[in-house]
Amino acid sequence: MTRRAVFICPGRGTYNKPELGYLHRHHSHQMSLISEFDAMRSASGLPTLSALDGAASFDPALFSSGSNASGLIFSCGYLDAQVVSDDIEVVAVTGNSMGWYTALSVAGALTPQNGFRVADTMGQLMQKHLIGGQLVYPFVDDDWVMDNDRKSGLLDLMHRIGQRSGHELSLSIDLGGMLVMAGNEAGLAAFSAAVPARGVFPLRLQNHAAFHSHLQAPVAAEGAAILRDISWDRWDVPMVDGAGKIWWPEEGDRDALRDYTLGDQVTRTYDFTCAIQTVAREFAPDVFIVAGPGTTLGGAVAQSLVAAKWHGMTCRQDFLEVQNTKGGLLMAMGRSDQRDFVSDGP
Amino acid sequence: MDRARIVHENFLRRTAAEDFPSGAAPHPGVSPTMAVEIFRAACLSRALDLTSRDMQKAGQGFYTIGSSGHEGMAAVARALRPDDIAFLHYRDAAFQIARADQVPGQTMTWDMLLSFACSSEDPISGGRHKVLGSRDLMIPPQTSTIASHLPKAVGAAYSLGLAKRRPPEHRLLPDDGIAMCSFGDASANHSTAQGAFNTAGWTSVQSTPLPLLFVCEDNGIGISTKTPQGWIAASVKHRPGVRYFSADGLDIYDTFAVAQAAADYVRTRRKPAFLHLRMVRLYGHAGADVATSYLPKSEVEADEANDPLLHAVRLMRDAGALDPVAARDIYTSTCTRVESVAATAVTRPHLSSAQDVMASILPPKRACAPTNGPDAQARAQVFGNDLKALSAAQPMARLINWALTDLMLTYPGTVLMGEDVGRKGGVYGVTQKLQQRFGADRVIDSLLDEQSILGLAIGMAHNGFIPIPEIQFLAYLHNAEDQLRGEAATLPFFSNGQFTNPMVLRIAGLGYQKGFGGHFHNDNSLAVLRDIPGIIIACPSSGADAVRMLREAVRLAREEQRVVVFVEPIALYPMRDLHEAGDGLWMSAYPGENDVIRSDEAGVHGTGTDLAILTYGNGHYLSRQAQPILEAGGIATRVIDMRWLAPVPEAAILAAVSGCDHVLVVDECRRTGGQGDALMTLLGNGGKDSRALLAAQDSFIATGPAYAATMPSRDSIIAAARQLVRGDSQ
Repeated sequence: MTRRAVFICPGRGTYNKPELGYLHRHHSHQMSLISEFDAMRSASGLPTLSALDGAASFDPALFSSGSNASGLIFSCGYLDAQVVSDDIEVVAVTGNSMGWYTALSVAGALTPQNGFRVADTMGQLMQKHLIGGQLVYPFVDDDWVMDNDRKSGLLDLMHRIGQRSGHELSLSIDLGGMLVMAGNEAGLAAFSAAVPARGVFPLRLQNHAAFHSHLQAPVAAEGAAILRDISWDRWDVPMVDGAGKIWWPEEGDRDALRDYTLGDQVTRTYDFTCAIQTVAREFAPDVFIVAGPGTTLGGAVAQSLVAAKWHGMTCRQDFLEVQNTKGGLLMAMGRSDQRDFVSDGP
Repeated sequence: MDRARIVHENFLRRTAAEDFPSGAAPHPGVSPTMAVEIFRAACLSRALDLTSRDMQKAGQGFYTIGSSGHEGMAAVARALRPDDIAFLHYRDAAFQIARADQVPGQTMTWDMLLSFACSSEDPISGGRHKVLGSRDLMIPPQTSTIASHLPKAVGAAYSLGLAKRRPPEHRLLPDDGIAMCSFGDASANHSTAQGAFNTAGWTSVQSTPLPLLFVCEDNGIGISTKTPQGWIAASVKHRPGVRYFSADGLDIYDTFAVAQAAADYVRTRRKPAFLHLRMVRLYGHAGADVATSYLPKSEVEADEANDPLLHAVRLMRDAGALDPVAARDIYTSTCTRVESVAATAVTRPHLSSAQDVMASILPPKRACAPTNGPDAQARAQVFGNDLKALSAAQPMARLINWALTDLMLTYPGTVLMGEDVGRKGGVYGVTQKLQQRFGADRVIDSLLDEQSILGLAIGMAHNGFIPIPEIQFLAYLHNAEDQLRGEAATLPFFSNGQFTNPMVLRIAGLGYQKGFGGHFHNDNSLAVLRDIPGIIIACPSSGADAVRMLREAVRLAREEQRVVVFVEPIALYPMRDLHEAGDGLWMSAYPGENDVIRSDEAGVHGTGTDLAILTYGNGHYLSRQAQPILEAGGIATRVIDMRWLAPVPEAAILAAVSGCDHVLVVDECRRTGGQGDALMTLLGNGGKDSRALLAAQDSFIATGPAYAATMPSRDSIIAAARQLVRGDSQ
């Protein structure tokens, strides 16, 4: 029986030390496409994906740079989509943050080459300008019970700080049980000082700019200019964007898709929680597949579903029980123990 | 095979064969993208109808009145903005779906399936009813099948103009928004619909802004009764003040173009328009209705052959927007998708307990800006010469007038409306000078239509105003009662508290007017109000109480979003004396600004313990007349004014009668359906074994000398009290 799946593409910060060699391990049969990507990067004077992925050791500074991370993450996600099991029907595609670029190619709106070019270009521009930064702070505890009052309180605090003179702070990504804030140094520092430490949080994300905020307007403008000749295609699978909008294939307004991707998507809050809840409620898939690299996005997906009381889940324990009883509601291709359930590839 | 399945099979067969019903060529103005979006919304609406029937058969769904045949409303939605408040016909799923397409993050498939399933997670009603509605989409929930939502659409439209000039604190709608309401051809015959058309035109010809789009979905039949050919067009085409537009509702291109023209007219001219759409009704009124039992099969099949989805596929093909194969794929994939989502939706929980169901009868409280009241200078300017009279004893009518003045000064969002409340100042002078003080747009002289008065109030409250409508006489409420019962009171209930329409409805009423009016001006029945869940009924009996209770009533509306009915005893408006001419004992000075009577407080007069007389309104006045006579006869008496008739202030009443040997309930309303039964039960449960009820007869009130013959009097109270205290207890 065909399983109906939603395919979810991860964003920045998912290619870390354990993921080193991901392309070589899982996608060595796709080296011709990777070679094309490599050629594009070489032409720009950047290290190739083959070299990065095949490095003997993981250099955090090198790999977390937008000019390197974006292309790697795009490639892993896109290629994972190509090895999804034959018995799975992908009914919708979505992604987190730069995972949106991957989703565009997975759905067919951009060829893999063009999708790579968009992801890689935007990653380079982010790194080049590196305007502001990001931090992460959770509003749920380890049990994932949604604390909307706490969330509202944190957002109120964020707004108040953002209104101070010289302070920039806004919601970058609504990420399941976490809030990702974007801002300038003053804004991020003020928020960090105002909230209690919870483990590693508030966590500043190294080499991350103030993504999905108005601070990125220059990056968006430059990206749109550089990528103006990109050809946008009709896509085959519905896509759900960072505002929760469904882009249906037949409507196919490619100009609007381009404008969103290189405009609002870059400069406005990316509501990943809403995207996941929308795909759940509008498609009711049997399984949510989180592409590689990495495994961290699975938590945000699960928390988003818990927040929506999907299958009646209200906490982490509920999720674990659903995961066990439904034969795997959420499958992360970055996890070796789950990859085989949804992939025919290595 | 049932008709729904036949229509489904027809669609598949005819799209495969490209066998389409004939019609006009596609009207320009609809982009290919929009055409497909409208078609997709129409397919989702259709698929939901089909699935709702399957859910009902499986015992998992509870509503099957569908939108099939009315999918053209998706095109109307696209001609409007998502912040244009829309009061929808129950066949408008396609409208809501298409509007949701304009607001990212909406999940209409899931939401509507939850509502079919009556799940407590249904985002609009919380599982209380299958309604269309959405707070995000500015669609207040609607359950009406009788066009009772049209008067409030007029009110909402009026609020847009006033809010632009005088933005209320809790405003919801934008300056350039319009209001829209939709209804079927059958319900267009209802008095509420006719009243709304009339009020809109009456308002518009006087150049008052009223940006309202009426949309009549004319499928030619109301359950089994046909609408005469051409009836709608003939009856509305030439209405003064309302521009008429018509389109083929089966044609999404034509519908969009005409709806857009109508919406532009309404938006730019700020005048009402009537959009008349030809529709078909597919597979009967509801799941259990078999149209072929009362219509010739040929007529049913003729409508089915005109399936708007088939027209849409033809039009999109001819416009080059989408080929029929792709259109058919959208239809089939949507059906499959809806079935998949439904399988999960039916697992979601339902309401079970009375407490769950009742949780949204009372609206949520809301935060309001603090106020210290009007400053002295503003007050002096508005009150003028009246300011000097505030400390002198005055009758109730004058004191209510001053209270309204202060409340309107303090809360700019308060608005009065009613018959003769403005220029004349009310038939009893209660609203004198208010129009001069606050302007004709805050003290509105309405036309003679109580449904429209209440609709105006309800609609304005949707946009953050605090309406204080007036019904001139209690008997006039009855023709408009459903506006309270079916609309105002149910809004928080059906929206799970997301929409509210707080107001203070003033009604001049009750009996005892000497020599004036008989029944129609002296109605003594409040039964029509008492059983409405969530409504507060206040009934002051003295001027000072009226002021203090009116302040509380406005607070309850403003802060707690409650619907308060404030019944003012007409006979006590001018009352000056209590026992003898010239004693002035029923007048009072204007209470200080912080002097308020809360809704759980009863009034107690006297400390006697032989007898408590429990009463309100005129009964209080008469009991106070009786009190010294009873005392002189050796019966130590206290008189308790319950003040609030609903909810009954039970704790305050039981505390007030505590220690009294006997309790006499004096109820000026009719014995049947009056307050007496409930009070007697309360007293019985409270251990008051010696109690009696003196209520009005089950009669209408006469004109002339017998005006009070059927109601309690001072002397009948004395007689009943003596009988009770002498030992003839129940």
